Amino acid sequence: MGDGVDSVSTFFKRDIGLVSKPGRYLGIEVNARHKPLSTPGTNCVLVYPDVYEIGMSHLGLAILYEEINDREDSMADRAYLPWVDMQELMERKGIPLFGLESRVPLGLFDLVGITLQHELTYANVLRILSLAGIPLRSAERRDSDPLVVGGGPGAYNPEPVADFFDFLVLGEGEEVIHEILDAVREWKHMGKKDRRGFLRRCASIPGVYVPSLYRVHYRPDGTVSGIEPLEGAPLPVHKRVVPDLNEKVKPRRPPVPLVESVHDRCSLEIFRGCTRGCRFCQAGMVYRPVRERSEDLLHGWGRELVSATGCDELSLSSLSSADYTRINSLAERLSEDLERKGVAVSLPSLRTDSFSVELASRVGRIRKTGLTLAPEVASPRLRAVINKELSDRDLLEAVGAAYREGWRKMKLYFMVGLPGEEEGDVEAICGLVRRIMREGDGGGPPRGLRLSVSVSTFVPKPHTPFQWARQISLPETARRHFILKEGLRIKGVTWKWHTREMSYLEGVLARGDRRLGPVVEAAAREGCLDNWSEFFSWERWRRALEGYGLDPAWYVERERGEEEIFPWEHLSAGVKKSFLWEEYLKALRGEPTPDCRFADCTDCGACDGKEIVNRLAGGGR
Amino acid sequence: MKRLLVKYYKKGDAAFLSHRETMRVLERALRRSGADLVFTSGFHPRVKMSFSPALPLGVAAEAEYLEAAVEGEPDLEEMIKRMNDALPEGMGVTSLQVMPGYMPKLSRWARYGLYRVEGGGGALHLCMRLDGEGGGRLRDALQLLKERLGVEAEAVTRVGIYASRDEILEENPGKVYFYHAGKGELEEMEDSGAG
Repeated sequence: MGDGVDSVSTFFKRDIGLVSKPGRYLGIEVNARHKPLSTPGTNCVLVYPDVYEIGMSHLGLAILYEEINDREDSMADRAYLPWVDMQELMERKGIPLFGLESRVPLGLFDLVGITLQHELTYANVLRILSLAGIPLRSAERRDSDPLVVGGGPGAYNPEPVADFFDFLVLGEGEEVIHEILDAVREWKHMGKKDRRGFLRRCASIPGVYVPSLYRVHYRPDGTVSGIEPLEGAPLPVHKRVVPDLNEKVKPRRPPVPLVESVHDRCSLEIFRGCTRGCRFCQAGMVYRPVRERSEDLLHGWGRELVSATGCDELSLSSLSSADYTRINSLAERLSEDLERKGVAVSLPSLRTDSFSVELASRVGRIRKTGLTLAPEVASPRLRAVINKELSDRDLLEAVGAAYREGWRKMKLYFMVGLPGEEEGDVEAICGLVRRIMREGDGGGPPRGLRLSVSVSTFVPKPHTPFQWARQISLPETARRHFILKEGLRIKGVTWKWHTREMSYLEGVLARGDRRLGPVVEAAAREGCLDNWSEFFSWERWRRALEGYGLDPAWYVERERGEEEIFPWEHLSAGVKKSFLWEEYLKALRGEPTPDCRFADCTDCGACDGKEIVNRLAGGGR
Repeated sequence: MKRLLVKYYKKGDAAFLSHRETMRVLERALRRSGADLVFTSGFHPRVKMSFSPALPLGVAAEAEYLEAAVEGEPDLEEMIKRMNDALPEGMGVTSLQVMPGYMPKLSRWARYGLYRVEGGGGALHLCMRLDGEGGGRLRDALQLLKERLGVEAEAVTRVGIYASRDEILEENPGKVYFYHAGKGELEEMEDSGAG
């Protein structure tokens, strides 16, 4: 490991002071493990393909970091996408992207693990590989190159970036990582020969998807006609699920960001999965079933996290934290213990009802910065479409409760472009906001309330009931934004919208196929950081799509039929396609599907009826 | 309530932590020190503490200060140990003392900074005021050193913080250049003749 490492260390001596916020690149975080790379061991680097401030807040990688570093035969370092000034300086000085703690170039690790959290980070993935000097395509990598491994929700349809990964992991990583590390260790002991044979061996590990072992066939119209597994690869690849989360208690000592990060707090993951069944929500489909951790375990673990990090906020995280069956008691116990230490307990994902607001207020006694509620839509008809049970009254009561508890800044999230949406449904958002400003304080106007309305464009996601639906076009989105712009001129209300073209690109990539690989590569050559509006350029992507003869509208605006073979047909998130199709039809009819925690099983396919089932801390179904 | 004076250093890579980032890691270390901290009141309570004046990015420090308020009888030895376990590589607490009642606040006495400037195979000492005339001044002083003495700074370390110039001369016999920002001049500080 000669040159690369030496030049990185010279770079730190001479040049690190030239970049903005060098704290992002130092790797001296409290709780960083600093395990050295070793020849017999398996050397991993975990990469978040966005900047440090975002990547350091990510819980999934913190879990894997600890799983890997707790093994004697393995180590894990961390890397993020450097900010643009650092990227330029590194390129000018010929410094390859390196692991933060070891300062060893990524190309010298055995395994480079990259999480796919969002479509708009796909160009960043390629940027990271090219900064590291690792061949972009799996097919171009030699035996001595690292294994490039993907994971995270993007792995449920990684097809637009499938060519760049040696393999991906579907589902939860804390068990399968050990099976992978065992396989890599064995391969390394054998001298890292026959990379393809090794990938074939990996494909036999449940949850591991090796894209090069599947051939995709297309019809002349561009739809998939079939996906053919090669050399005995499994069909489909099933996601991994940890049945009992009480047996997986990590992270215990996560590295603490040196530079202020987007979620500057410690996360205590109270449960995984959500069965509310909102039809647009990919997380609610793919993370099933619901698995709550025990209250006593969480109580002790939460206090441990605070004392291991010195953080001033403990966030009770999950997809819908007020749903945790023992939430009242857990939140009370933790806030009682932690309040004296100046540590706030917070609930990041609130339900839109007064129960949640009152709960948030009780536990968050010492901090009231802002409250976020997500009604998503404003008309009863669309609520039935998305299966989100909520009335104007619930929302008004939630706002009223928050107002009484002292909140003067609130944020509401809405979506436009849902299946079956009409102009009246968009106008209903304005009407609802007006009503809040008129009657939000128990029938009267909530004086001094500042309401921020945030509007995103609905993007249909794979493995959801809306995977067949069309996404609205750019002009249709502009029309909706115009209605909102006119209708939300209300004193005390500000509104923000997602950049239309960003949602459009997200739509192309979310349901994209492998033909987009070269497009992503071309777009990434000219730029990255697409989720940063100052760097996003639809033009760059439009040109790249055109260059390969692909029409973005075909991916985004086309409603798929029942018989459509999806590009992700060979990947299973547990929930059955037939269930999702039924849900789609019910959505179009406006019929509800109850939550299986409180009503009958919906036979969605996520449980196995034995080990993998809903597990609630407070008992019950 | 007692006032604690924490003396710490920051060197190596940690010199590239900004003032804000340094405050964050010190606050977290204090929270982990086992002491019964005093918090500010209001919606967003913070640990009650204050710091010696900001160091420019990249400048190491041998003796910086932090003042914090605690309740009860703190176990100082234990606090030092725990804080050192909770600080990033390159930072550490060297001493911790209960401030006597007559001792002025940190912001009152932290007036002069003494810097060791290494370059061209040698080292010299530079002193300047920390309060008053605004930021960016260390850079000006280094520029002047280059112009007047031909010394190109390769590494700069703040070795201490003092209340008066006399205090510096008492502790640091030898030649010290004083940067007079108002006049834009370097002057040699008088050696008190001790030692």
